[in-house]
Amino acid sequence: MNAPACKSLVAGLAVLLLGLQTCAAAAANSAGAAEIQRGQYVATASDCVACHTGPGAKPYAGGLATMTPIGPVVSTNITPSKTDGIGNYTEQQFSRAVRKGIRADGSHLYPVMPYTEYSQLTDADVQALYAYFMHGVQPVASKPPATRLPFPFNLRILMAGWNLLFLNRHPFQPDPAQSAEWNRGAYLVEGPAHCGTCHTPRNLLMASKSSDALAGGVVGTWFAPNITPDANSGIGNWSQQDIVDYLRSGRAPGKAQAAGPMAEAIDYSLRHLTPADLRAMAVYLKTVPARHDAADTRPVDAWGSAYADLASLRGKPLPKHADDMTGPQLYDAYCASCHQDQGQGSFDGGLPPLFHNTATGRFNTDNLVMVILDGVRWHTDGSGTRMPGFSGELTDRQIATLGTYVTQHFGNPAAKVTLTQVATARAGGAPSNLILLARILLAIVLVIIAAIIVWVVLAVVRRRRRAADAPAGR
Amino acid sequence: MKSVNTARGKVEPVDGCATPASRPDGPIDPARRKLLAGLVTAYTASLVPWALAVPVTDAGHGAFVALSAILAGKRVLNSVLGQRLHAALVDIEPGFDADCQALLKQIEAQQIDPAKLQGALDAAHSSLAPLPRKLMRAWCLGLVGDGEATRCVAYENALDAVMVADVLKPPTYAYGPYGSWSNPPAAKGGDEHGNA
Amino acid sequence: MATPDSAEVVVIGSGICGALAARKLALRGVPVLILEAGPRIDRGRIVAAFRNSPRKGDWMSPYPYSPWAMQPQYKPKDNGYLIQAGPYPYPAEYIRVVGGTTWHWAAQAWRLVPNDVRIKSLYGVGVDWPMTYEELDPWYQEAEEILGVAGADNTGSPRKHPFPLPPVADPWSMIRFRERLAPVYPVVANTVARNSRSYDGRPACVGNNSCQPICPVNAQYLGINAVEAAEAAGVKVRADAVVYRIEADAKGRIAAVHYYDPDKTSHRVTARQFILAANGIESPKLLLMSTSSKYPNGIANSSGMVGRHLMDHPSSSLTFYADEELWLGRGPQSPSSINTMRDGAFRSQHAAYRLDFTNISQVLSVTEALIAEGVYGPEFEKQLRWRAARQCNVKNVLEVLPNPDNRITLSSEKDALGIPKPVAHYSIDDYTRRGAERSKQDFAKIAELMGGTGLRYSPDGQFANNQHITGTLRMGDDPAKFVTDGFGRAHDHENLYMCGTGVMPTAATMNSTLTAVALALRTADHMVPAKSSGADNGGAT
Repeated sequence: MNAPACKSLVAGLAVLLLGLQTCAAAAANSAGAAEIQRGQYVATASDCVACHTGPGAKPYAGGLATMTPIGPVVSTNITPSKTDGIGNYTEQQFSRAVRKGIRADGSHLYPVMPYTEYSQLTDADVQALYAYFMHGVQPVASKPPATRLPFPFNLRILMAGWNLLFLNRHPFQPDPAQSAEWNRGAYLVEGPAHCGTCHTPRNLLMASKSSDALAGGVVGTWFAPNITPDANSGIGNWSQQDIVDYLRSGRAPGKAQAAGPMAEAIDYSLRHLTPADLRAMAVYLKTVPARHDAADTRPVDAWGSAYADLASLRGKPLPKHADDMTGPQLYDAYCASCHQDQGQGSFDGGLPPLFHNTATGRFNTDNLVMVILDGVRWHTDGSGTRMPGFSGELTDRQIATLGTYVTQHFGNPAAKVTLTQVATARAGGAPSNLILLARILLAIVLVIIAAIIVWVVLAVVRRRRRAADAPAGR
Repeated sequence: MKSVNTARGKVEPVDGCATPASRPDGPIDPARRKLLAGLVTAYTASLVPWALAVPVTDAGHGAFVALSAILAGKRVLNSVLGQRLHAALVDIEPGFDADCQALLKQIEAQQIDPAKLQGALDAAHSSLAPLPRKLMRAWCLGLVGDGEATRCVAYENALDAVMVADVLKPPTYAYGPYGSWSNPPAAKGGDEHGNA
Repeated sequence: MATPDSAEVVVIGSGICGALAARKLALRGVPVLILEAGPRIDRGRIVAAFRNSPRKGDWMSPYPYSPWAMQPQYKPKDNGYLIQAGPYPYPAEYIRVVGGTTWHWAAQAWRLVPNDVRIKSLYGVGVDWPMTYEELDPWYQEAEEILGVAGADNTGSPRKHPFPLPPVADPWSMIRFRERLAPVYPVVANTVARNSRSYDGRPACVGNNSCQPICPVNAQYLGINAVEAAEAAGVKVRADAVVYRIEADAKGRIAAVHYYDPDKTSHRVTARQFILAANGIESPKLLLMSTSSKYPNGIANSSGMVGRHLMDHPSSSLTFYADEELWLGRGPQSPSSINTMRDGAFRSQHAAYRLDFTNISQVLSVTEALIAEGVYGPEFEKQLRWRAARQCNVKNVLEVLPNPDNRITLSSEKDALGIPKPVAHYSIDDYTRRGAERSKQDFAKIAELMGGTGLRYSPDGQFANNQHITGTLRMGDDPAKFVTDGFGRAHDHENLYMCGTGVMPTAATMNSTLTAVALALRTADHMVPAKSSGADNGGAT
């Protein structure tokens, strides 16, 4: 999101929060203020605003295009505008949209909208959410452009089949064998906070692989890592407090910093949750089945050490061409000013060390590349640009050299950053072959159906012919 | 360069990473290893007891190391940086080693107190008078050579940075997150306060 | 020539003033081409070059030096570009690269105080400005919002709207100065174009303490930010284009400018309007060079005032050891000032001044001093730490009055492209020297309040220069006395405008950049008035 858009969103949110009380008062007859406030909390926990607010738009007015392997899906206006939003939705229609992915007009939503996860929402929370969206949100009369996906995905009815295969049909059921805190955490993680939307890998049909829940997934050009309690592959060596700190501030000191979509999730949603809820999520996350990858031989945040190659730098001129700069030279010029000459970070660690840091310790270096390109930017918490991006300063070759140097010495030495990886990330991700695949599959299905029809027709014709040919008076 | 975490958790560079084969200014070839202790007199040894186990290549390098230890008065001198500085100084001035040996001999013969060294050399109009400043400029500012030929061989690990590294970062290196500089400086003290 | 050779507006110089004027015009739909004599440079490489520099105290040292766009350099030896005619040396420094000299500045973004624009009327010295402070206020505001200026309201410069950013957090050393000087002096936070929080996509300051020569993290607004914003608005920038002649047509309108590329191939670029924004020395140099039979004294110079009234801010200083550990060098370099002597009836008698506290790390100067003193052995580290913790410095920033004999002229010596080198004629008059003398009282009092020992005053009559090159294109209503009118338009040429510190009629006591930027925005607005209000106001790009 660019700066003005971001600013207007922030301003909009402020207006929204200010407006809430007035709206709530006005709506006292139809829904209780407490109910609306609870609904707002559910909406925050569900991070509705992140997707349903386009660049420069008012909160919930829609218009944000989310890139998916099958094309951009544009979020809709979910303000209570009767002309452009969901002002005419009944609570039942609202519930069906949120939990079953079916709009009031009966057409299907694309599962970019995480209704698969929201299907876990309790009736009470959906009710509160409805009260909030009807009475706590300012109606905005503006219609974002419609989503237009290529054939065959423009046939929304296909999603009915997808839902048959992948949609859970029941709200969250507490496990009586577990504590109330655990159950609350499970509800938040699996339901509103929809962690699995990003952190669970997807199968060929873009559905979450429940067998690998929270074992790590791809989010556009970013990687949502394994957050199961495996000590090496996941976050098994994080304390409960580490997890809470991370979800509240985007930082687990001495371990990790949130960037990209995770920073956004914390910024708009998770940091607003109560300490008790964050603790509950941490409690639950510590108990989900651990998923281990044999390649991970030590915890992601346990790699690397302080290192500098000052002897190769001092007293030696830089090469004329930017692409000829070495890893140490690039690190010196672009990174060391904050992360310090040996990657050790500032005195208090507030500017993080690069060793013992998940940013460099992960075998998958996609996030490292994205952070070098885009930096770390927060939108609503006032911290803004926590780290500047270098997409304007550094070439693909420089980022590949730099990224590999950084993982080599501060992180996982087996991890590499390649030139094509940087070029792909800069271009916004690899082109997906899902559309082609779907069309081929569809063609095959059509050919098979055609073959069946032909076979059936021929069989009928043959039988009729045979019947006609048969001697009379059988 | 490897680092040691000292007792206070401060990261201080101690050694280089290059192999002797790949870089002329890398660590000393173990086959040629000698210790400074074998090259100096009891007086020098009494001035720099902490430096006696430093490996040196020959008498010239040994004199440089001994003088460096005497002048800088620092318990730990980065030996890889020392070799780079020595190589750079010898490169500029072929007589550098001989000067170092002569000055060391003079200090030993006259048992000169380091605090009075410069005064003594200046008073005697000694041809060696510029040498201590040359050494200190190399160690403390990372600079060798004069005028347009001056080269910067060290910055982050030059002694002026190392001696205050508990409280200041060298300019261009961030002090810390915004506003962290408003806190009172928590200086932990230099060598004489127990800095390793 | 493959590149287009005309534009609606041509701007000569890509510094902060030229680039922001260009941006403003581009936002109003005007095609603009900037011609910059020097090359494009890269922040990271400057940072790396500084760390490798053998002259850490020389802020020019990390910057590349282009033979085709010479710039004054004095270390390790004077490169002889800015020729000194005396009687007092004027060793101005500036950088000829894309983005200009604010690549290294302290980012002090002061406004004038209101009486600065009326010192002739009020105090009988200098000259009045062709505008009031109130007229400048909205342009200051616009400039401050673009630059992201952080400041407090207690600096003596009134304002209608708040600063875009709160004051930058004080370094500990300045907290102590403020507390200990409070009985006598109010120590105020400098207004600075330095981020006290993330602003406009740039991060908050992290205290690299190298504002000069380079902010490594883009927390301080630089000319290059202005250039990038201009380019984002559609401005074209041509680097390595050394303008050497401004050509007027028979009617007195500027028709074209001529530039050399580094190979000395000449190019001619036409435009409808021109902005000269090549700094207070290069701009008058270019005007003086552009002679013809019709303009034997150069372009815009019928008054003979081009290059005259050169001003800057000389400084004398006091260095001493405080009686407590301050450890300068934590946080940004230029945090605080005392503003009590920036205005008053005394201005009829002696120069006004601002008192400026540095927070530059003292380690380098202390180390050099110890080596010079021959302090060796364990005493060296002990002394280094003791002095680096306690050494501090206060300097004055003195007003200089406009004097026609202080001026830039052309030398018979030529640079590599055959272009005349500039000559500086400069002196520091008794008015300024009396101000320096008066400030010694303050120095002494400050040292006393800080428990100072080891007091070292800068030698009497010796002044450091602050590189605030002012006055050589001064604006005013009378075409016989001023180069440009109150909007920066040349009195002699209706389509030639000038931006930069050169147009300022007096130097006052504040670092000159913010005022020059405000004037440049006002000039751009005058050239192409807004169709509807507010479209390009407000700064965040």
